[in-house]
Amino acid sequence: MIKSLEKASDFLFRNATYVIFACVLLYYGLQAPSFLSVESLSNIVKQASFIGIAAIGMTFVLLTAGIDLSVGAVMFLAPLIAGYAMRDLGVPVPVGLLVAVLTGVLLGAINAILIVRLKVVPFITTLATLFLFRGFGTWLTSSQQFDFPEEIRRFGLSTVLGVPTPLIVFAIVALAAHVVLAHTAFGRQVYAFGNSPEGARKAGLSAEWIQARVFIICSACAALSGFMLIAQIGRLDVAFGEGSEFDVIAAAVLGGASLFGGIGSAFGAVVGATLIQTVKLGLVFTGVNLYLQPIMLGLIIFVAVLVDGVREKRLLALLKRTIRPV
Amino acid sequence: MSDLLTFEGLSKAWFGVPAVSDLDYALRENSLLGVIGQNGAGKSTLMNMIGGIVQPSGGRMLWRGAPYAPQSAADASKVGIAFIHQELNLFTNLSVAENLYVDGFPRKFGIIDWAAINERTRSILQRLSLDDVEPSVKVGQLSPGERQLVEIARALHNEAQLIIFDEPTTSLTHRETERLFETIATLREEGRTIVYISHILGDVQSISDGIAVLRDGRLVDHGAAADFPVSRMIKSMIGRDLGGLFPPRSNQPDSDLILSARSIGQPGVLEKASIDVRKGEVLGLFGLMGAGRSELARVLFGLDPHATGDILLNGQPLTGGPRNRIAAGMAFVTENRREEGLMLDASIADNLALVSIDRFGRKPFALVDMEALSTRTEAMKAELSIKAGNIARQAAKTLSGGNQQKVVIGKWQMQSPKLFILDEPTRGVDVGAKYEIYTLVDRIAADGGGVLMISSELDELLGMADRIVVMNRGEVIGSVDRADFDREKLLAMAFREVTA
Amino acid sequence: MTTETARPSPLQRVSRILLSDYFVLYLSLAYVAALAPFYPVLLTPANISNVLSNMWPLLIVATGQTFVLAIAGIDLSQGAVIAVTSVICAMLIAVTGNEAVLGNAPIWGAVIDGDGGLLSGVTGGLAIAILAMVVAAALIGLLNGVAVAVFGMPAFMVTLVTMLVVSAFAIYLSMSENISGLPEAFIDLGKGDLVSVYFGAQEESKIPRKVIYSFVTYPMVIAIAVAVFAHYLLNRTVFGRYVFAIGSNIRNAQISGVPVRRIVVAIFVISAVCAAIASILYSARLEAGRPTLGAGTFLLDVIGATVIGGTSLFGGKAKIIWTFFGVLFFVLLSNTLNLMNLSAFQVDMVKGAVILAAALLDVLRTRITRETAR
Repeated sequence: MIKSLEKASDFLFRNATYVIFACVLLYYGLQAPSFLSVESLSNIVKQASFIGIAAIGMTFVLLTAGIDLSVGAVMFLAPLIAGYAMRDLGVPVPVGLLVAVLTGVLLGAINAILIVRLKVVPFITTLATLFLFRGFGTWLTSSQQFDFPEEIRRFGLSTVLGVPTPLIVFAIVALAAHVVLAHTAFGRQVYAFGNSPEGARKAGLSAEWIQARVFIICSACAALSGFMLIAQIGRLDVAFGEGSEFDVIAAAVLGGASLFGGIGSAFGAVVGATLIQTVKLGLVFTGVNLYLQPIMLGLIIFVAVLVDGVREKRLLALLKRTIRPV
Repeated sequence: MSDLLTFEGLSKAWFGVPAVSDLDYALRENSLLGVIGQNGAGKSTLMNMIGGIVQPSGGRMLWRGAPYAPQSAADASKVGIAFIHQELNLFTNLSVAENLYVDGFPRKFGIIDWAAINERTRSILQRLSLDDVEPSVKVGQLSPGERQLVEIARALHNEAQLIIFDEPTTSLTHRETERLFETIATLREEGRTIVYISHILGDVQSISDGIAVLRDGRLVDHGAAADFPVSRMIKSMIGRDLGGLFPPRSNQPDSDLILSARSIGQPGVLEKASIDVRKGEVLGLFGLMGAGRSELARVLFGLDPHATGDILLNGQPLTGGPRNRIAAGMAFVTENRREEGLMLDASIADNLALVSIDRFGRKPFALVDMEALSTRTEAMKAELSIKAGNIARQAAKTLSGGNQQKVVIGKWQMQSPKLFILDEPTRGVDVGAKYEIYTLVDRIAADGGGVLMISSELDELLGMADRIVVMNRGEVIGSVDRADFDREKLLAMAFREVTA
Repeated sequence: MTTETARPSPLQRVSRILLSDYFVLYLSLAYVAALAPFYPVLLTPANISNVLSNMWPLLIVATGQTFVLAIAGIDLSQGAVIAVTSVICAMLIAVTGNEAVLGNAPIWGAVIDGDGGLLSGVTGGLAIAILAMVVAAALIGLLNGVAVAVFGMPAFMVTLVTMLVVSAFAIYLSMSENISGLPEAFIDLGKGDLVSVYFGAQEESKIPRKVIYSFVTYPMVIAIAVAVFAHYLLNRTVFGRYVFAIGSNIRNAQISGVPVRRIVVAIFVISAVCAAIASILYSARLEAGRPTLGAGTFLLDVIGATVIGGTSLFGGKAKIIWTFFGVLFFVLLSNTLNLMNLSAFQVDMVKGAVILAAALLDVLRTRITRETAR
């Protein structure tokens, strides 16, 4: 009896996000059945793709028990550089996208150098670069709105075989991240490092190189995410991406990534981002006061973090040394 | 058969104190050497030198006749040496196969070749008769025994020639232990060389072909296992003159109990452990590493939970955490001075003041009476003769080990507790400071307090304790009065070869 | 550790200055001295008065944050507490209400209407409103503290979530509108002055208000009172000892009988209450309750100012006087950057560089102490 209860609670802890997700869908479905229609659901996923792409990148960083607060600023600065390339140099949209991602790589490399070489903790490093990147971007635009060439919206609003382009990009990033995390040596070493940095060092893995790469990947994903979102609206406000870092972290954590490292997956981030978007759109759908929505969202994130904390405590209890067989 | 690993005059000293001295030995290929010795005999230092964790301060090692001087753990693994520690070094969030291949995955088009690593892992697992474990299962889901075998699989995967086991059976069930020994036999058949370190002497005797005994960093005895009964092992491990190392005990214990713990049990840790401490008594608690001494101490002090049993202090049942225990008059000097006993960056005075600080808070705002506090801490510094300059400014981390320990004892002494639990109070402490700590222990008891003194050094307990309780694997094996102190008997109890 | 070594080498002198309590004060003075020739306006009474008035509320918030950092925590929810308490206060004490602005808000009719807030005109209403702010803040702090201390959740995530929820709640209360029409008695708290100085010719018989510069103001008195109280609390009381014990070595603190959970909870409450006190000053200066107070980069100012002062993010190393100088430096920096006509975003960029410099300085200081200890 107690054993089976334990098993049930274990199951709930391991799949907390899915359980919450199911409850949310059920609740909205009962409130407004049309919420569960195909258009409505595909709209949710499309809206989730922007935060989702960045959350996938964030998952890499969280897996190493790090944090990246600069993603919102990268979402702002990287597409802006691409915008200049497109407007002033006339490069086509795909090259613009490449420029944005490369800028993201560069910005991630700055974070990586500060963290790995100068040994400044990720929290402070990325807090500082959040200011620096955003400040640099607004200096470029002189605090004005930046208008992108019209082609970018054509790209952003296009569809491939009826599927919106952002969704396809989202799927590609998710799949690529999944392959990297689950099926490459680097990916598995990220998990190993997150599980035990000391053990990873003992096993001869290069801790610095692993850490540097996750921050670069995170920034590149943020850059791509910013670019895709701007491709929807065609312009960049000064406040674009401000505070997005919190949404991104929340999505990754909701998707099961642990702040203590070693746990999380690319698909988890997809689910987390989608869950956040579902809650948001569902609240709109059911006519909940617009101002109350962030409160509901906050409560759901709170539950996810609580579950993460309890899960970590259990893991620690399991690792406790026993001196006689149980 | 040729020699695999040879020691020539191998020595290591820590700050001038020898841990291993002048060791000569040749380990023959495909042999199984059992290594035994009391705690602190130099086994860990020797293993750390072989593993490249520490470098020798004298002498040298040869690997297959060629000089061998590892600078890191990686160097040791490169020549083919693997360690199986009691605390395993596995990634619990990765699969069995991944743990084997984490530092070099075979790839196909950049993607891990799962078929290949699962296949190869399965064949290694089969060699270890671990057929029931899938290569793709996460290590976190395995039992301690299975994890140990995975660690061995990792050693096999790395083509280790010499596999060193350090207390591998502590957390294994009887069945798992049997399985481990079968595996070790298989490894021998494959031509590998094994070093097996354990406190379970019977096991060592039955599986080894040769046995080596370390004492005080020296190789004091070695020979074929067949000529090495347990009695000879114990005799070889002990033997040292104690004259003048300890102050005489100045009082006789009362008959009144201070502490009484009845049938303390906690799954995986303690089993029906009962212990009594009388007024004015120094009770020694002896046992080998992992016997459950510190675990019992933590339970007594309310740091860890216990499922069954009661703890009484002066007849009053104790509940709650350390705060309640301290209020009731308990003090606890833990075995991890730096991690649990001190604020290293804070001043000596702040460290001394911590436990008793609320006594110096003046109403209504609990403003600290700095003058009274400083008088008291200065007095404590003098009482314990802590060798420091300005205790209000000097950071605790600048002190020597012995003086740091005095600060830890001092912060409790500020409260004048009724019962002191001292866990390894002289670990990492030089000889002079040891004597001072022993004197202090005697004084606490003479003043009517009780002392529960935990130590891995049997000599220390023989010198100081009025009575010694022996533990093994979380159980209390028995209690011996001072009049009946006998090294061989106590050690045999600790090894569970006899019960009192 | 010998003190009689004759003459310190230049390197030793540099490291001594780096490790000094007053390092950031020296830095601020040097900064002003270097810039004053180019920007004479920097030292005018008007500007000094302005710098000071920006400094006081920030000092109160940073004082609260110092406590949290001292136990190796972090409180991201302070800005949101400022916002929600600002709204709570204003909706209670406003003398009038404007239906055109607040008509849609859930508080309209329930707490505030055309005749002002619930407590307008009530004797002692102002005091009750301030009490309500403090109680609300304490409850939020309690929630943070319990989640961290009892459930073992990371402070960063807990306070992040509280920040999201509480700031959303503040905006919901007034439907993101400002609540104006606050009574004079309250507004005085934000700018009322005790000592003002007139700079100008003596013969004028009537002094125009704008050439009087306030130096000793209510905010100054309140902020210094809070800082002094906090200084004593942290350095002279049993409570403060416990705070440092937790920040230095939490396992040691537990074993030594420090009531760890209680202290951690208390610290988050202190942090939130400090935010509420600052909220009084901010709201009074604005003459309104604003639900977006403390949003955006405000929090980074708080943490930046505290860290540049020398308080460590890893706990166990914190001083109110450091925070005082850190806040001074940060406010001076903002002020001078404004004088240079830089945009708000360029100001942010410089602040980012300063936070990074502070972190590198911390790494450097740790290395120096480690080497001198040898």
